[in-house]
Amino acid sequence: MTVAVIGRLRRLLGRLTGRPEPELSPAESERLTNLFRERYHSFRQLLAANGKALESMATLEHAAITGRAYGIDLVVGNATAVAVQVVQMIRHLEVLAPGRYGELAARFDELRQQLDRVLSPPPRTIDGRLVERLAEIAREDAVRVGAKMANLGEVRNRLGLRVPPGFVISAAAFIRTLEHNDLVTEIDRLVQATEIDRSDALFALSSTIQQLIARAEVPADLRSAVDAARRDVLGEIGDGVGFAVRSSALGEDTAETSFAGLYRSQLNVHPDNLLDSFLEVAASTYSPQAMVYRRLHGLRDRDTEMAVGCMAMVDAAVGGVAYTIDPQDESDRRVRVSAAVGLPKTVVDGRFDTDLYLVERRPLSVVERRIADQGTAFVLRPGEGVDRRALTPEQARRPALTDDQTIAVARTALELEAHFGGPQDVEWAIDHEGELVVLQCRPLRTARVAGRGPAIAGEPLVAGGVCVSPGIASGPVARVRSDREALKMPDGAVLAVDHPDPRWAALLDRAAAVLAEHGGIAGHLATVARELGVPAVFGLGSLDALGRGEMVTVDADGCAVHPGVHPEIEAARRAGRRDLMTGSPIGRTLRETLALISPLNLTDPDAPEFRPANVRTLHDITRFCHEQAVREMFAFGRENSFPRYAAKQLHHNVPMQWWVLDLEDGFAGEVTGRYVRLSELACEPMLALWDGMVAVPWDGPPALSGAGLASVLFEATRNPALATPFRKPYAQRNYFMVSRHFMNLQSRFGFHFSTVETLAGERDSENYLSFSLKGGAADLDRRAARARLIAEILGNLGFSVRVIEDTMTARVSASPQEVVLDHLRTVGYLLMHTRQLDMVMADPRAVEHYRSKLETDIGSLAARRPADEP
Amino acid sequence: MAIKVLLVDDEPSFVDTLKRRLTLRKLEVVTAASADEAFAVLDRETLDVVVLDVKMPGTDGLTAIKTIKRHHPLVEVILLSGHANLEASVGGMALGAFDYLLKPVRIDELVYKIEDAHRRKVLQEEKIRALRAAAQTHAGEG
Repeated sequence: MTVAVIGRLRRLLGRLTGRPEPELSPAESERLTNLFRERYHSFRQLLAANGKALESMATLEHAAITGRAYGIDLVVGNATAVAVQVVQMIRHLEVLAPGRYGELAARFDELRQQLDRVLSPPPRTIDGRLVERLAEIAREDAVRVGAKMANLGEVRNRLGLRVPPGFVISAAAFIRTLEHNDLVTEIDRLVQATEIDRSDALFALSSTIQQLIARAEVPADLRSAVDAARRDVLGEIGDGVGFAVRSSALGEDTAETSFAGLYRSQLNVHPDNLLDSFLEVAASTYSPQAMVYRRLHGLRDRDTEMAVGCMAMVDAAVGGVAYTIDPQDESDRRVRVSAAVGLPKTVVDGRFDTDLYLVERRPLSVVERRIADQGTAFVLRPGEGVDRRALTPEQARRPALTDDQTIAVARTALELEAHFGGPQDVEWAIDHEGELVVLQCRPLRTARVAGRGPAIAGEPLVAGGVCVSPGIASGPVARVRSDREALKMPDGAVLAVDHPDPRWAALLDRAAAVLAEHGGIAGHLATVARELGVPAVFGLGSLDALGRGEMVTVDADGCAVHPGVHPEIEAARRAGRRDLMTGSPIGRTLRETLALISPLNLTDPDAPEFRPANVRTLHDITRFCHEQAVREMFAFGRENSFPRYAAKQLHHNVPMQWWVLDLEDGFAGEVTGRYVRLSELACEPMLALWDGMVAVPWDGPPALSGAGLASVLFEATRNPALATPFRKPYAQRNYFMVSRHFMNLQSRFGFHFSTVETLAGERDSENYLSFSLKGGAADLDRRAARARLIAEILGNLGFSVRVIEDTMTARVSASPQEVVLDHLRTVGYLLMHTRQLDMVMADPRAVEHYRSKLETDIGSLAARRPADEP
Repeated sequence: MAIKVLLVDDEPSFVDTLKRRLTLRKLEVVTAASADEAFAVLDRETLDVVVLDVKMPGTDGLTAIKTIKRHHPLVEVILLSGHANLEASVGGMALGAFDYLLKPVRIDELVYKIEDAHRRKVLQEEKIRALRAAAQTHAGEG
């Protein structure tokens, strides 16, 4: 039998027989004390779990609305945290009310299963052959071999253009290799244990994972499949040829995500070293820049499994990139051919100044030639690898392409555009026999044309170069030439580099804008900057005029860097960064997760719908558990016959309509009899609240008689006979539940209902204060206006607030004790001074008057030292 | 009296760092590198709280908690995992874990949890003692 039942029976018996309640035996008394402690412990744990669950929910909700990048680990981690806290709450409620809410566990289990489905990673693509020949694949095979190699297969097999012979080590082979080496969960574990927002942690993590993959053992069946494919290629074109080993990850080279230059490619690899190269390229799945890029695009690692292409190396006399339109300005449909003597790497790297040819479409003709002084060329090194070779001044100044060659390249690029149905980015080479070979083609991402707006007046610090990604942004200058300097780059800096090396893509999530002394629009870093919407100007020449840390504004459209900040001009022209998260796989997962966690359907504890059968989200469960726990604690305190833990009436000069229930150590010592005095209270939160309640004399509205303070305070509370729309048993009176650091107040002043609950102890992270207020005597409009006014005041003080009709809820959490106690004084003050305000809410002047009075009073509260005795 | 904690994790550097930091916070710390080692320690010594890594070679944390709870029902177990997994976390709680925390865990957070777990253990022990006393009183009366 529960204590409550025993207590009730005893009292009933006592009343029937007219005898006093029997004294408890020492053993019984000890048993009851233990029971109280256990219940209180469970209650506290339940409240802590509630706080944690709310915090994790807030993190998820915040991620969904800010549009900032987050990883799948944030979603899974916080959803798991909420679920664990919910299990705790159900468990602790079971201690407080054994057997009463069994249905909750079943509801939770259903929700957990649904969450499991939403959060489970997509199945790994382990079907399919480990190695596939380029001659046998086409566009639709991208799901197994990645878009880069699938497109090349399409170009070879459906368009009949020349591409190098080769094969693909499929995504299935990559996963086989990870599994063969037990790396799948190990990598997940490493990723999850890292604070990826910090650059140093990210670089360290990347290096650890890349080493694990690079040192992995290749499974025997993959080894022999690669051997066979390699023999075929060498049989076709003869020995002595190296391979280009290129990433062809799933999701790479698509319209949404280019991953331009973020993965490794290795050129002229000796046929004996193909497997080592495969592992190194596969490892670059975890390069810092690829990890940041995935994060910014809301992609899971599993959305971008790595396939690796192996193609016979083309010994290029000239090579480069062709864009079929201007990526800066879609209306300019001239083909842009970038070219350099030697391998196309010279252009693709983005580090060198190379020739640019503009080709009109109809008739196909070269209309502009910008010949650069190309000092360096990359050429094949005999045996393996590539060499940098300095060009003679005469070679350097000569155009890399003849007009006929330029037109041949442009024609091929346009053929690809027509076939793939959109602007293309084509990597090409012309070999020493003069044959044009397509090495790669992918959709060209164009930047939104930035809204032209007001220009910045005055002389720029640096100007010129080429706008590779439009926009305007400001920040302190960060010169970065090494990884060490990269780690020190402050968030929001204007990144200034010598060469637009793709590895700096790892900094783009934190950079306001990018400047480079060299390079042009065709480089990988330029592509990534455009995709992310980070303003960037390359090829600016010397950036020495920019001081480290100096505040500058980059006007990428105007190709200029101005001193200082120009917030109005920035605001007028800012297009905002692209929202890459919302439609992404991780963005979808978050939305589906939130739908099972966050909406609150059980809002009114007094409605008949407030029961476990109507639970639809985890938030409903936490809300239900919290409400029932508070009720159980009250009921237990009111109904038990144990004097130490019975509710006492507060006595302050006179007996008041306030009852105080001690949960553990809320009283300074043993309190006997039916009253407790203010001086006997050890509950710090209650004393702070009280302090706020009496700090400022009441001055209306409405005008009051000269009755004493105490009578003013409790006038409304002395008349418990007022009709109440609440069916809460404990709402008939004003109840404090207290311990030393905890307080729950359920109160009613007339038609105003409020709840204050707080924990203000030594554990900052568990502290919180929640305050809710509802009702009033005026009509709904005015009551709602009052709720909004109070929400606004508390919002300015750092509370997170929510108003639904005339109900206002406010919460602060994870704050130091003194801060919570200060907030309690404010809440105590507001409890007293806003209760009749709804009456005047129809008059805007009065609203302003009271707003400023409330804010002034609250300001003076903060300055005031807490009184010893209110 | 200091709370006695057993740390079970196969990563020596993690265990060493954690032990040092918990000791600084006045906890008494014993370590074990595997579940089997932990069982031996628990049979030998009286401990309050076990902090148990979920993923270990050999016997994993979820299997280990069953054994611990069977042989030492009053010892509280806090699961620590490097990998958020809904099924494992809820499953671990169902097996009687006091809590399930994700690495990297804030040291204060872990200490709070250890304190709360210890408090629960003390309450359970008191309850059992009181029940025994009551039973004896009844026996004496009868």
